[in-house]
Amino acid sequence: MSTAESATPSRTTSPATEATTPPAGGTATATAPGPGPRRTPGLVPVTETRGTAERTPREPEPGRAGGPAAPLPRRAGAFWRLLGSELGLTFRRPRNLLMLSVLAIVPIIIGIALSLVSAPDDGIGGVIASVAGNSLMLTFFAFSFLVLLLMPVTVSVVAGDALAGEAGAGTLRYLLAAPAGRTRLLLVKYLNAAIYAYAATAVVALSSLLTGLVLFPAGPLTLLSGTTISMGEGLVRIAVAVGYVGAAMAALAAVALALSAFTEVSIGAIAATMVLVVVCQVLRAIPELDVITPYLLPARFTDFDAVLRAPIDWAALWDGLLAFAAYIALFGSIAWARFSGKDITS
Amino acid sequence: MTAVTSEAGAPFGAAPPSGGEAIVTRGLTKRFRSGQVAVDTLDLSVPRGSVFGFLGPNGSGKTTTIRMLLGLVKPTAGEYSVLGLPQAEALPRVGALVEGPAFYPYLSGAANLMRFDAADPTAPRATARRRIAEALERVGLSAAAGKRYRHYSLGMRQRLAIAAALLGPRELLVLDEPTNGLDPQGTREVRALVKEIASDGTTVFVSSHLLAEVEQMCTHAAIMRTGRLVAHGTIASLSGGLAARIRVETPDAAGAARVLGALGLADVRTDEGGTVTAELGGHAPERLNAALVGEEVAVRGLAVVRPSLEDVFVRLTGEGFDVDG
Amino acid sequence: MRRGTFVRWGVPIAAAAVIGAAIGAGPVIAAVSGDPVLPERSAEQLLADAAAATGKEGGIPPMSGTVQQTASLGLPSLPALSQAGASSPLSLLSGSHEVKVWYGAADKLRVAMPTQMNETNLIINGGEAWYWDSATNTATRVSVKAPAAPTHTPAPVPQTPDLTPQQAAERLLAQADEHTTVRVINTAEVAGRPVYQLVLSPKDAGSLVQEVRIALDGETYVPLQVQVFAKGSAEPAFQIGFTQVTFTPPAAENFTFTPPAGAKVEENTLALPEEAGRHAEEHAERAKDVAGEAKVVGDGWTTVAVVPFDLNDVTAQASQEGGEGAALLDSVLASATPVSGPWGSGKLISTKLVTALLTDDGRLLVGAVTPEEITRAAGVK
Ligand SMILES: Nc1ncnc2c1ncn2[C@@H]1O[C@H](COP(=O)(O)OP(=O)(O)O)[C@@H](O)[C@H]1O
Ligand SMILES: [Mg+2]
Repeated sequence: MSTAESATPSRTTSPATEATTPPAGGTATATAPGPGPRRTPGLVPVTETRGTAERTPREPEPGRAGGPAAPLPRRAGAFWRLLGSELGLTFRRPRNLLMLSVLAIVPIIIGIALSLVSAPDDGIGGVIASVAGNSLMLTFFAFSFLVLLLMPVTVSVVAGDALAGEAGAGTLRYLLAAPAGRTRLLLVKYLNAAIYAYAATAVVALSSLLTGLVLFPAGPLTLLSGTTISMGEGLVRIAVAVGYVGAAMAALAAVALALSAFTEVSIGAIAATMVLVVVCQVLRAIPELDVITPYLLPARFTDFDAVLRAPIDWAALWDGLLAFAAYIALFGSIAWARFSGKDITS
Repeated sequence: MTAVTSEAGAPFGAAPPSGGEAIVTRGLTKRFRSGQVAVDTLDLSVPRGSVFGFLGPNGSGKTTTIRMLLGLVKPTAGEYSVLGLPQAEALPRVGALVEGPAFYPYLSGAANLMRFDAADPTAPRATARRRIAEALERVGLSAAAGKRYRHYSLGMRQRLAIAAALLGPRELLVLDEPTNGLDPQGTREVRALVKEIASDGTTVFVSSHLLAEVEQMCTHAAIMRTGRLVAHGTIASLSGGLAARIRVETPDAAGAARVLGALGLADVRTDEGGTVTAELGGHAPERLNAALVGEEVAVRGLAVVRPSLEDVFVRLTGEGFDVDG
Repeated sequence: MRRGTFVRWGVPIAAAAVIGAAIGAGPVIAAVSGDPVLPERSAEQLLADAAAATGKEGGIPPMSGTVQQTASLGLPSLPALSQAGASSPLSLLSGSHEVKVWYGAADKLRVAMPTQMNETNLIINGGEAWYWDSATNTATRVSVKAPAAPTHTPAPVPQTPDLTPQQAAERLLAQADEHTTVRVINTAEVAGRPVYQLVLSPKDAGSLVQEVRIALDGETYVPLQVQVFAKGSAEPAFQIGFTQVTFTPPAAENFTFTPPAGAKVEENTLALPEEAGRHAEEHAERAKDVAGEAKVVGDGWTTVAVVPFDLNDVTAQASQEGGEGAALLDSVLASATPVSGPWGSGKLISTKLVTALLTDDGRLLVGAVTPEEITRAAGVK
């Protein structure tokens, strides 16, 4: 393919830099030898380009070239702006909203089912009786059920997708080129997942609470220890349970995020997290392995029932929170080590 | 530009080497874990203010080089410098389009741009809306700003990616195959846009596997082949390496050939269609025309044929411009 | 691998190390730091002090804490155990179990066993005792005639009123001396408190027990932990003790119990003790029968009990009763190895701590001894 031009060359670029020596190697001199001293071709073989870059044809704007430019100011609140953007993305995404609504519906279904079962007043077990006996109890019952699988699924979908999803879609390269900064982006992603974890927990609590108030009698709450507390105090205990379960889910989010840093397929990270959760639940059910149980993250999820004892078993809650902090520190740093050194090739 | 040492892949920031280079690389190498050497000891120097064409067949390592420059991929060896600044300082001044557009399908075009603007810690939030509107305006997407990205056509997606690269005041624009997927009209628009951006003094580093495209909009070019640089310089110097030829269309081919030979032009050839070509050498085309007419050779047409970059490539590598491994 | 990679991965490795250190710190520090934290005491002094402290007016001081029991007896993996509920007594044979204890005075005690979303409580206050089970939503009132001293803390020393603690200790140690070496460790900690550990090691090589360690609180001499170590294992085969303890009087609410509204109240219906009583009578009778034919071989730590035992009877009875007992028996028998010798032949069941031999001529030999020892005992007709 050749370009034909009019007799007067229109190319306005500066004349080629004339190489002072004939190019080495056969490539550039392979043209047909002309009579007399040929005009030395301007083509500069690679071996000679080092450090002999062409001069700019156009003068760069004053103030831009020469000497490093004045540093750009980092905007105050830029971190929160990115977090806000992340939260907006998470809480506007139809999939994530759908999962939250499933979490809201399940306590309603449990509540209705229990209210039907408990209609004949006699001969039913303790938990069902206590749920039917007090509107606040449904919250704890819903937690003890959802915390096993459904809430972990919800949280690991968001956290497992956090890095892998962006990598798979290719948006990660544009975020990092923006430049979002790897550590900063990871931190934002984790905070976002933790906030979503708390949102999921709060949704379960609110839905159960409202369902409970509609379906079951309000009034003083009987604890597992057989002690009775006022409804106000019961609400405070629900708040403590929300704090604990939210932290549990945030710890799981750290695990999912770390796995997310290892793949570009988000379903892989999500599935791996779920496999871990299920395997832990199985290990936990084997009494011979009781020695390792306290170190398994999912084994701590159900310890929110410490708020239902008299006095509140703060030691159990505190142990759980320490375990969550350890998981967050360990898996957060694994995520960081992986993500900060990863080649983004998607 | 002396000490080429230290940890591999560190952008050598600090003082900009030898003044006005927007991009400099020294011995830049990337070997993937698969063992594939995508970029092999690349020495590149992109002058500020230039429109730099980064050429090479598919798979020759262009995108990998760009990823390294943007800090997405860590070089195995070598150094690089973008705008003579440390990475975090440089990147906000660089607009980039890497390997095609990538956006959130469930967000509108404008919301997508807002997302990437939020990721830049130096971008002022207050002016975000205005800057986004301007960027969309520039690529002709204002009308589709509120439409979900999912419903964009390929051309619109490409434009949105260019708009994202233009969100702030940029000193360097890195465009990886910006005309991919565009129709001829879109291609022309991108070319015009690049020229316009360059006229503001912004350096444009544009990669392409289309040689003609680069020839039309670039001042400088580098040609890659399987990860290695095969040529590097101004467009003129690159294509100047092959002699320009004069082409005379005439009913009197023999006469034209005689006249041109007598004037000392080399490699005079006569095609069967009655076209005579010869190496132009240092002759002025208009004088040749006068000489032909003076010898009573009828001239129907006369043109100077400059060798294309593809000719250069074929000459340099002895191979066609196909896909690289 | 580049240097940067090492530095980066150093962070999670350091995090793991810190977490590992934090988990292991308590026991490791306690075990490693050989510094005596308590003044040295001889076994005799220690026992005398303990007897004096617990024998005096008031006895055990008010306290509360968490008691954990762990057993790793090296039983064959028993599916029956896995299936048994957490509240089943069989579950105590493996794994770990936790109860919370509040002790106010000799007649003020609360023991709670928390399980997931459930809790059972035993609350003793003066002449009144309540048993509360949240799983069945049932409160049972139990009348206790004479408030007995709490049995959850084994009294280390038999309290013989006509002896001074000093004499009691001397006598005890003299008795023990025949079979046992006794020493005192003053560097250990239990539940964060410095303790004296009374270590009893069998002198007889035929015993499976390496040693028994009884930890007495350094200040109050309340027993805080009992550990039984099997030979050749660094972890205790059986352990019960406080994981957390405070010697402050527990809040009064712990000892008051009012059945919650809606709960089933079974007042004065001492169904459990009655039945237990009946059972106990039966058992006592059976035991008398058995005892008539039972004998003991060896003495001290290597005592082996020999009782007549008809496997077929037991199996039949177990399968009649059904439930976990039968399943347990099945799985235990399945794990037994056939053995034979000059004494005859039979099935050997060995665990870390206990060996049992079921001979084909209808005897059951049980002891905390090695298999060699038990077959020797089988030879003693
Ligand atoms: N992540 C990767 N792992 C292994 N090889 C890769 C990877 N990315 C690119 N390559 C290889 O590196 C070479 C250069 O690729 P690329 O830079 O994308 O070329 P271009 O952009 O010039 O088409 C190709 O041979 C490609 O197969
Ligand atoms: Mg490419």
